[in-house]
Amino acid sequence: MKKILITFQKSRTLFLLMLLIIEVMILSLLSPYFLKLSNLIEITQFGAILILLAMGESIVMLSGGEGIDLSVGSMLSLSGVFFGLVTQAKYSMVIAIIVTIIAGGTLGSINAFFIAIMKMPPLIATLGTQYVFGSLALYLTNGIPISGFPKSFEFLSLESTFGIPNQILFIVIPVSIVILLLMYKTKFGREVYLLGTNPIAAKYSAINEKKVRFIVYVIPGLLAALGAIISNSWLMTARADAGLGLELQAITVACLGGIAVEGGRGNLGAVIISVLIITMMNSGLQIANVNSIWQLAVLGFVLLIAVSFNHIVSNILSKPQKF
Amino acid sequence: MFAKYIPKPGRREYITFLLLFIEIIVFGLLAPHFLSERNFVRVIQNSAEIAIVSIGMTIVMLLGGIDLSVGSMMGVIAIVAGNLIQKGINSILILIVSILIGILLGLVNGLLVAIFNIPDMIVTLATMNIWRAVIFMLLGGRWLTGLSSDYAMITKAKIFGIPVLLLLIILFYAIFYYVLMYRPFGRHIYAVGNNIQAANLNGINIQKIKIASYCLTGGIVAISAMLYIARMGSVEMTIGNDMAISCIAAVTIGGIGMKGSGKRGSVVGTLAGVMFIAFLRNGIVILGIPSLLENCFIGSLIILSVIFDKISLEKRRIKQ
Repeated sequence: MKKILITFQKSRTLFLLMLLIIEVMILSLLSPYFLKLSNLIEITQFGAILILLAMGESIVMLSGGEGIDLSVGSMLSLSGVFFGLVTQAKYSMVIAIIVTIIAGGTLGSINAFFIAIMKMPPLIATLGTQYVFGSLALYLTNGIPISGFPKSFEFLSLESTFGIPNQILFIVIPVSIVILLLMYKTKFGREVYLLGTNPIAAKYSAINEKKVRFIVYVIPGLLAALGAIISNSWLMTARADAGLGLELQAITVACLGGIAVEGGRGNLGAVIISVLIITMMNSGLQIANVNSIWQLAVLGFVLLIAVSFNHIVSNILSKPQKF
Repeated sequence: MFAKYIPKPGRREYITFLLLFIEIIVFGLLAPHFLSERNFVRVIQNSAEIAIVSIGMTIVMLLGGIDLSVGSMMGVIAIVAGNLIQKGINSILILIVSILIGILLGLVNGLLVAIFNIPDMIVTLATMNIWRAVIFMLLGGRWLTGLSSDYAMITKAKIFGIPVLLLLIILFYAIFYYVLMYRPFGRHIYAVGNNIQAANLNGINIQKIKIASYCLTGGIVAISAMLYIARMGSVEMTIGNDMAISCIAAVTIGGIGMKGSGKRGSVVGTLAGVMFIAFLRNGIVILGIPSLLENCFIGSLIILSVIFDKISLEKRRIKQ
């Protein structure tokens, strides 16, 4: 028993995988249509945007220094609005996509400037930019959704290739692979982890903190821009409130995936699994005809249980520590 | 003898008040209706709840934490209180019941933060979602309307021409200024916020302080929920949606929340911050600036105030 507990405490990924399997079992008991490969793959499309945002949020949290990004939702809204404005001006889709990604990178570097160069606390800086970006998105659209994208744009989110939704196949999977390689196979990724675990050690090992932190805060902007493209193609409109509340979901998922708020600990693979858990749960609740309102509450409960589980297990295994 | 260890309102608070006066004068010059008594009363009516909840947020942020769940807590309490009002129960009893519920909700946060050692942001994020769902469940898409409580007069009554609401806000801030500055409990909050290890070594029961602070915040939120019912006479689904973020903004502009500078500041700064934001929102509407840009100004202001803190802190360091 103790051995099992240790394994689960050591590896959040295993714990989450077990949770995912239990969840799939429960849901397939509830509905005979659930446990079909095609259904399981179809469901993943609902988590596409969340995966992108959660990965950005996780990298920020891993870099430590109270790292958090409250502005991911607003960055998604604002870069989505830029996409809408560019297509409204009759430019081609390719230009619109490039502009959106540049816009996302710029918004991210505004955050990065305040946090890495000006050394502002991330919570406050991104709270401020969340307000600014969100209200600029509303102002630029006057609160009216921009629609009228060409029919071909539906290809990205409303169609699938080989049974896999396009946004998963063409955006989420490649981007996830790039991010995972960046974090686990390059010097940069190691530097982010070291910065999170021990900033002083990082300083003495000649890591350029400003540079690393700057890049860390640009990444969520770029990922939010990709999320904006998916969201625009999915709804076929650019809405100024597209990203409303997504930052909290992204933080919740990152915490559920075992990313420590203090930074330096956690695994991006586990975050991706926890997005799957949340997405499955949401669609499962819909199948089971539970009001969608409860999705929020279930998210809260799962988060609390997952985090306190770690605490309780480490208490059982070792003597309780004072703070 | 210990008087010199008790901080007086620092320069930072005076500066926030100075900015507030400059803002009022500028808006007064630009818009003729801004300086009218009716407008001032309206600003105070609209900001009363945020002003009260910001006290709780100040306490939690002085501890080095944050409470994102205030808005949802306020919603749950307002709905319970609204139902009790509809049943025609005695007003004082309702007030007591709502404060008790508030303390209970705060206790949930406090226990999870202090006993289970979960970071406060995660705890309050989770409880925010949970209470929000409870609000949806209790209301089920309806509105609670026609809630005329005995407290409704508070929002409109005046004593010697001064709105009672303003007196109430000042009373609350005075009480909590006293508690935070002169009572052991308040001093312990500053101690824990500044250096948790040193506080522990000095024999301060950190868990107790944390739990008590979150309970206190819950109780304060309950009072603002009663004010909300008194002002609106109804409860709708979106109640308190912006509450947490507005309070954090007010507290930050008031000068609390900078890590690394030590937990300075007091509720006086928070009051200035609340009023600054309230007059800014009001002035933007009166001047006819598109209200969609409102949050853009407030966001820039948050960032500017933190940069200002940073620069003044560095100046102080150079002096030393």
